[in-house]
Amino acid sequence: MSKKVGSNNAWKHILAISLVLFTAFPIYVVIVTSFDPTGGISSNSLLPVKFSFDNYILLFTDSRVPYLSWMKNSLIIASATAVTSVLIGAAAAFAFSRLRFRGRRIGLKSLLLIQVFPSFLSLSAIYVMMEQVFLVTPSLGLGSIWGLYLIYIGGALGVNAWLLKGFLDTIPLELDESARLDGASVPQVYWLIFLPLAAPVLAVTAVLSFIGTFNEFILASLFLQDVEKRTVAVGLQQFVGGQYEQTWGPFAAGSIIASVPLVILFLSLQRFIIGGLTAGATKG
Amino acid sequence: MFYALVGLRGPLALVLKYALLGAADALLILLLSAAINKSSFIIAGVVIATLIFLNYSFITKGAIPLKFLSVGLIFFTIFVVTPTGYTILMSTYNFKTGNEIARESAIVEILNNGLLPDDAGTTYDLFLGKSSDDQFAAILFDPVRSQLLYATERGTRPISEGDITRDSTGFIIEAKGIVKLTDEEFSGLDEVITNLRFPLGDGSFANPQGTDVAARLTQSIEYNKNKDQLINVQSGEIFIDNGEGNFVSKDDPSFKLDPGWRAFSGMDNFKSLFFDKNLRDPFIKVFIWTIAFAFLSVGTTFAVGMALAIALQDPIKFRRFYRGFLILPYAIPSFMSILIWRGLFNQEYGAINTLFGLDVAWFESPWLARFAVILVNLWLGFPYMYLIGSGALQAIPSEIEEAAAIDGASEKQAFITIKLPLLLQILSPLLIASFAFNFNNFNIIYLLTGGGPTNAIDGEVAGATDILISYAYKTAFGTNFQNLGLSSAISMVMFVIVGSMSLYTLKKSKVLNNL
Repeated sequence: MSKKVGSNNAWKHILAISLVLFTAFPIYVVIVTSFDPTGGISSNSLLPVKFSFDNYILLFTDSRVPYLSWMKNSLIIASATAVTSVLIGAAAAFAFSRLRFRGRRIGLKSLLLIQVFPSFLSLSAIYVMMEQVFLVTPSLGLGSIWGLYLIYIGGALGVNAWLLKGFLDTIPLELDESARLDGASVPQVYWLIFLPLAAPVLAVTAVLSFIGTFNEFILASLFLQDVEKRTVAVGLQQFVGGQYEQTWGPFAAGSIIASVPLVILFLSLQRFIIGGLTAGATKG
Repeated sequence: MFYALVGLRGPLALVLKYALLGAADALLILLLSAAINKSSFIIAGVVIATLIFLNYSFITKGAIPLKFLSVGLIFFTIFVVTPTGYTILMSTYNFKTGNEIARESAIVEILNNGLLPDDAGTTYDLFLGKSSDDQFAAILFDPVRSQLLYATERGTRPISEGDITRDSTGFIIEAKGIVKLTDEEFSGLDEVITNLRFPLGDGSFANPQGTDVAARLTQSIEYNKNKDQLINVQSGEIFIDNGEGNFVSKDDPSFKLDPGWRAFSGMDNFKSLFFDKNLRDPFIKVFIWTIAFAFLSVGTTFAVGMALAIALQDPIKFRRFYRGFLILPYAIPSFMSILIWRGLFNQEYGAINTLFGLDVAWFESPWLARFAVILVNLWLGFPYMYLIGSGALQAIPSEIEEAAAIDGASEKQAFITIKLPLLLQILSPLLIASFAFNFNNFNIIYLLTGGGPTNAIDGEVAGATDILISYAYKTAFGTNFQNLGLSSAISMVMFVIVGSMSLYTLKKSKVLNNL
């Protein structure tokens, strides 16, 4: 452990600083653009030319841009998906990790296999399905955020069961055995022992699921046609997705507002998230 | 600690459980009644099955594993397994623009398309209503020939002006033996009325084109149910089922009648993907780029991320700042960063051209576009590799390094010969997962380049940066031509590749052994 401290650190700083510049470049440009009332993405100059809050004000005042509704939709759908999918995933992971039943191995394997099917290519099938549901009850079908929510949690079992099972497997068997000896039922073992123990991992899973849902673009853009009902991802994309007309100013402002809570959430849970990510690696 | 919590066991837990189950049942029953109301029986069936399964799994004694899995299984079955199965099924069908509907509907449409007006384009003023025996009946007035007819679905007979009453503009407002339909009846019977045919005796018939106009039409194509053939009445040409979803001329099989229907085609979609030159060449091109893209993405992000992990392993100045700042790309919603990068690469006002004083059309050259995709993916992906890389570095016992140092290995040697292989071994499951992720990384392609540039002159669908998943998406949901069958076949190919890759990894990592 006797390293020559400070000996050969120059390359480290050079690498880190160049990566900092690389990382900062788009972030810098988007911040400058968000305060530039002319709406170009740094027209002809990289230095801020003008400064105003016009783009931010537009998001909250222009009736054609229901930014608040978009944010609300994204937050509702992402939180609901995160909570539900963690509940579903944790219950399934517990069953696969601790209970023995017929079809367990084959169930686990098929979950994994179906999961790698590029699921969003069954998009047309899902679309036709939700069209029918819309005819029956518009509040769950095509165009509603709750219909989209149903589709998102459809995948919850596959993704989270495997992820969480890995963690639950690390909880020593003696723990639940002694609880069972003390007269606890299986559901009690689950609710009173496993869930509290797994709380940090569940939180990480929930955050990752939240971020994933917040980022989801394709399903949301196909499903939510109504301007009011869009998510932030779909709504903001409309500003700049066009071939010819691109309004970067409001897009930049909207992106910054939407990113800040996520970045704060991520950075504050950083330690746990990194732990969750590397758990898979180091267990080998 | 358990004794303190056993309080949850008794009535409270039971009440909670049944309250939740009851609420779910109530919602499902609401949905069921709505489905029955709209006579949507498939949905009703699914809801009933869900109700039974859900209640059985929670009310029955025992079957504890089922209680933990049932809710997830229900969603998984309805929203993942079913559409997946449907997609697999679609890959064996000729299902594309022009072949989208069921066979019966296609025949109906062909017959409708086969209705031709007579040479003079005769139209009639129409007075439509019902006769005394509640059958449709009409007065037809041909203004050119001043011919007045009383028509039913059985035939027509001439009548005289005395049998009808006209208003001042000549519009027929009353007729003997016919009760005129009200506007409401009209709108309610719209479909029936537009299909009404009043035979005119010579093979042609009058067909209502609105509330007060009828046209004289002849059926040029007829369907022979026994022989399952379509016949052009005028020319005598016969059209037969070609087995691929179209009626084609018996004499000239390349002449198709539109529309076709979606027909079972077995492995044809797969065959054409591998053997039809027009499809195979773009498919192979896209396939190669998909592999290259996934490799380059994993390679570049891993190299940069790992280098950073090594650089920041031991405390150096500003380490906390570097760490905090450099994981930002991982924390920022990726759809935003990709769109921002798209703006940065813009030729006219993009910050990259401005910064370097260039005037490059990045997304119009295949190689520059590919470079841009890799660069942006590096930006998005290196923080993740840094995170897992530094985790893995910590997992390598420091004794290994010390032992290498004692054996006289230099720091560099020790890294290349001992640490790096070890790191790769530890990280291989995550690296392969990352490969699979990039293999299907739709967002970056779709949002950054849209798969382009495309050689529009050749009418090609596949662009230079299209990967399989974006290519399949374009094939299925393209603007001009949509081929769901082929797209599903492409999905199946991807499924096999990524699936076997995942299975292989799991076998290697021995996860499946101690399930």
